[in-house]
Amino acid sequence: MSGAFAFLSPDAAAPEGGFAPVLRSPLAHEIGRAPAGVADLSLALGKLEVYGAGASLDAPGAEVVPIAPGRFLVLCPYVRTAETRTALAGQGLLVVDRTGALGALELVGERVLRRLTDLDLDRLPAVGPVAHVRTVVLRDGDRFRLLFPQECGDSMLEAVIDALAGLA
Amino acid sequence: MRLLAQPGERIDRSREISFVFEGKRIAAFPGDTIGSALFASGRRIFSRSFKYHRPRGLLCCSGHCANCMMTVDGVPNVRTCVEPARPGAVVRAQNVRGSLDFDLMRIVDLAGGPFTPVGFYYRTMIRPRWAWPYYERFLRNAAGLGRIDRHAKPEPGRHDTEHRRADVLVIGGGEAGVAAARAAAQRGEGVILVDEGLGSLAEEFEGTGVEVLQPAVAIAMYEGGLVPVVAGRVLRRIRAGRVVVATGALEQPLLFPGNDLPGVMLPGAVRKLVRDFSICPGRRAVVIAADERGLGVVEELRAAGTDIVAEVDLRSAAPRAIEVKGRKSGVRSVSIDGRSYSCDLVVMSGGRQPAYSLLAQAGARVEYDEARGIFVPTGIPAGVEAVGSVTGAVGAAAIPPPVFRGASAGDRCVVCFCEDVTDKDVKRAVAEGFDSIELAKRYTTVTMGPCQGKLCQLASIRLYARENGTDEGAIGTTTARPPWTPVSLAQLAGRPLEVARKTSIHHRHEALGATILWTGAWRRAHSYGDPAVEVRAVREAVGVIDVSTLGKLLVIGPDAAAFLERLYPNRFGDLRPGRIRYGVLTTDGGRIMDDGTVARLSETEFYVTTTSTGAAAVVEWFGWWNAIWGMDVEIVDVTGAACAVNVAGPRARELMERLTSLDVSAEGVKYLDAASGRVAGVPALLLRIGFVGELGYEIHFPAPYGEYLWDTLLERGADLGIRPFGLEAQRVLRLEKQHIIVGQDTDSESTLLSAGLTWLPKLDKDDFVGKWAYELQQERGARERLVGFEMLSGTVPPEGAQVVRDGRIAGRVTSSRWSEAAGQPVGLAWVPPDLAQDGARFEIRVGGRLETASVHLSAFYDPDGERLRS
Repeated sequence: MSGAFAFLSPDAAAPEGGFAPVLRSPLAHEIGRAPAGVADLSLALGKLEVYGAGASLDAPGAEVVPIAPGRFLVLCPYVRTAETRTALAGQGLLVVDRTGALGALELVGERVLRRLTDLDLDRLPAVGPVAHVRTVVLRDGDRFRLLFPQECGDSMLEAVIDALAGLA
Repeated sequence: MRLLAQPGERIDRSREISFVFEGKRIAAFPGDTIGSALFASGRRIFSRSFKYHRPRGLLCCSGHCANCMMTVDGVPNVRTCVEPARPGAVVRAQNVRGSLDFDLMRIVDLAGGPFTPVGFYYRTMIRPRWAWPYYERFLRNAAGLGRIDRHAKPEPGRHDTEHRRADVLVIGGGEAGVAAARAAAQRGEGVILVDEGLGSLAEEFEGTGVEVLQPAVAIAMYEGGLVPVVAGRVLRRIRAGRVVVATGALEQPLLFPGNDLPGVMLPGAVRKLVRDFSICPGRRAVVIAADERGLGVVEELRAAGTDIVAEVDLRSAAPRAIEVKGRKSGVRSVSIDGRSYSCDLVVMSGGRQPAYSLLAQAGARVEYDEARGIFVPTGIPAGVEAVGSVTGAVGAAAIPPPVFRGASAGDRCVVCFCEDVTDKDVKRAVAEGFDSIELAKRYTTVTMGPCQGKLCQLASIRLYARENGTDEGAIGTTTARPPWTPVSLAQLAGRPLEVARKTSIHHRHEALGATILWTGAWRRAHSYGDPAVEVRAVREAVGVIDVSTLGKLLVIGPDAAAFLERLYPNRFGDLRPGRIRYGVLTTDGGRIMDDGTVARLSETEFYVTTTSTGAAAVVEWFGWWNAIWGMDVEIVDVTGAACAVNVAGPRARELMERLTSLDVSAEGVKYLDAASGRVAGVPALLLRIGFVGELGYEIHFPAPYGEYLWDTLLERGADLGIRPFGLEAQRVLRLEKQHIIVGQDTDSESTLLSAGLTWLPKLDKDDFVGKWAYELQQERGARERLVGFEMLSGTVPPEGAQVVRDGRIAGRVTSSRWSEAAGQPVGLAWVPPDLAQDGARFEIRVGGRLETASVHLSAFYDPDGERLRS
């Protein structure tokens, strides 16, 4: 991605002219209601969508999630977003910064996911509806990460909290 | 009175619980069902039938029929024979006027027979037509099942949906189902076993890896091995690699007069009462059975102390006539070929019919086995397996005649217990020409009640066959459809969840006291108190509106310009980098589908905005055409990635100069320019556009900075008189400029020609989507035109009001508001084409009156656009 789309990259902000930009997670207003085991990763991760790669993608130090043929979601620590973006763009790939577009939640336990999605939880990562929201679902043992449109953050969190309440 | 403890009884006699039935305390043991406890307390009448209000008692004790349905804790139609007794439950009878023992509506049975034959409501209550609503209300009050109490508090607890996966799903926990589950588990497969009984299969399978859901009911089978299973308050949607159906077979009733009286039971009900609940079902019993299993209850009854006064094996000698006579509480005697037997219990068994319904839903065929007189499933689809008696392994049985006539033939002979349909009803339906089972089903409603044909399908087919003079195979079965077992709508609905899309500034709008409304899936600020004040702020100072809901797309690639050229009627090939152009998308038929702006950021990069509610459709539209044309272009939806706010008003530039080092002067960022830079330290794309008709900057920036930049704008613009404005103010402002809102001012028939956007399509282009249609529309001329109008009377007409000409409806108002700038109400309306000239008059119907409007073709405010370009 060229500089023309820098307005999509949160990490392109910088203090200047007496201004000090403040990032806010899409879950910031509601995460306080969530029980233990639910964590907001929205601002902890850099999220880059890569177009034009082949069957696989090499992104050292980052997690590569295939989401469609030739398309990948690359996750990295937020502070490494710029360098990862530059490295991928250097390979001649189209890189779109999704950091601000996607909210991210981590939660523990398969049962709560079963209440929210019909995705096969043994075949993750996958993209599909979670609580009626198109979501990228990643799994690491009993821990799940959900990446979803940030504008659906309140709804997603509400659904997760409600589902957990149903299991309590 | 209970029997001495039976081996394997389900009840726990060590303690007692109680519930309330019709105001009386009923004692029960843990393990009892409400039905068993009521039966043990001496109750024999459990319900009144659907139409005739005939007394009904326990029939199947398996949750199959409607005979034991009652209202439990406010929930209607609970099958009490399988509903566990719980302390404090409040149980009430339903569909009665009076009491279960004395129901005034029984008059329908005693005297209403000649007036209520099958389908009577299709014939006798159709005239006068105006009276039908009254008839209907009367019928609904006179017949039916339970009622929902609309004034009741919401049912406590919750209903959830859970999605499950399994290698193997076994439906049915009988002998065959258990064996199949064990075998699959031994092969290392993940198994879920579903059983509707109240038993303890979970203990049996502990440590085997088989997950047991019990009591649980599989209500349907869909493609891809999807089986919804109701277990408690959770609907589990189970997807299995293989589904083993072991649903067993269903005991069938016999048809004879009085076969529905309390005290007439199926063998399974007798067994459950004796074995599970240690209850003696009757003192004197007559057993009439077509199979060994049915006759097998004789010994159990004897062991329970029941006197067997007659035992009829239909396999050896079938009587010609059977008739049960009743008294107030149930069976009094049974007459068999003229010989009368005094008894209080009649056990009837017409053999067993495989419970094939789920298999049929999965795609299996169902064929009649003439030798055995039952329907059996064949052609089981891949991924599904049938085991046990559902395959047809139900043992040898006599095929009973369709109906045993009684000596007096006085009482009703019930075919469908749920819907109160008798053998005479079926005969009448056939006589009236309903000779196909599907038509007859709809006319008689046989199989359409809560049992879903479990007890009446086979019996009704036998009757249809006899009345049509054909065989059961030729009649066939009705289509098996979900649900196989009744399920509450709450259970199907699960948790209420309506996804609300909120911009990253949403909580700031709430904090400012905004009225929030739905626009599509978005939640948006309608106003912050007084829209008129907000309008004034924009016209006189500066306002800011959250427009993050706009659809936003990147169109990137060497063919990006060519792609947009083919897609839009506009020209984009000549758009210079850094410039913006308004664009309207049309369908192949030349109808307006969406509009927005297209900014060219470089030779190969475009940033496209769409309407808020049209974004998803436009993304799909772009992708679809890209797939067809195969051009070298990527389309990326970045709607949620970027927040967008529009800063508008004569003092907008002053405010922007405080926030950015970009040259935002009239020369630095001209009208319809796009510029990149930081605003208050945030990376941003500035679009110089003006939907509301003032000097304006639409700032697009990363969504996580939404609240920060919003706060900063309000803080730094405070001394300039800045105000946030909502959708209502925006609608007024844009209306004063006659800027259309697609979907509000246009509909699915609107074209560029009729909307007056004739300057937009470039017909010298080789092609664009909708070009052929536009040329045709030009040839034929527009049938109506969208025009601005002023109301001379000063009344604001409602949106949607009729445009009237010569007393006839000639169009409609799409938008209307009071305009402070124009000093009168203004609006947009569809009118006949010849009225599309300044000053033309037409009438609008307002509250029954006709009021005059005058056409105004140019903007009501700043018609030359000087303020926009300033």
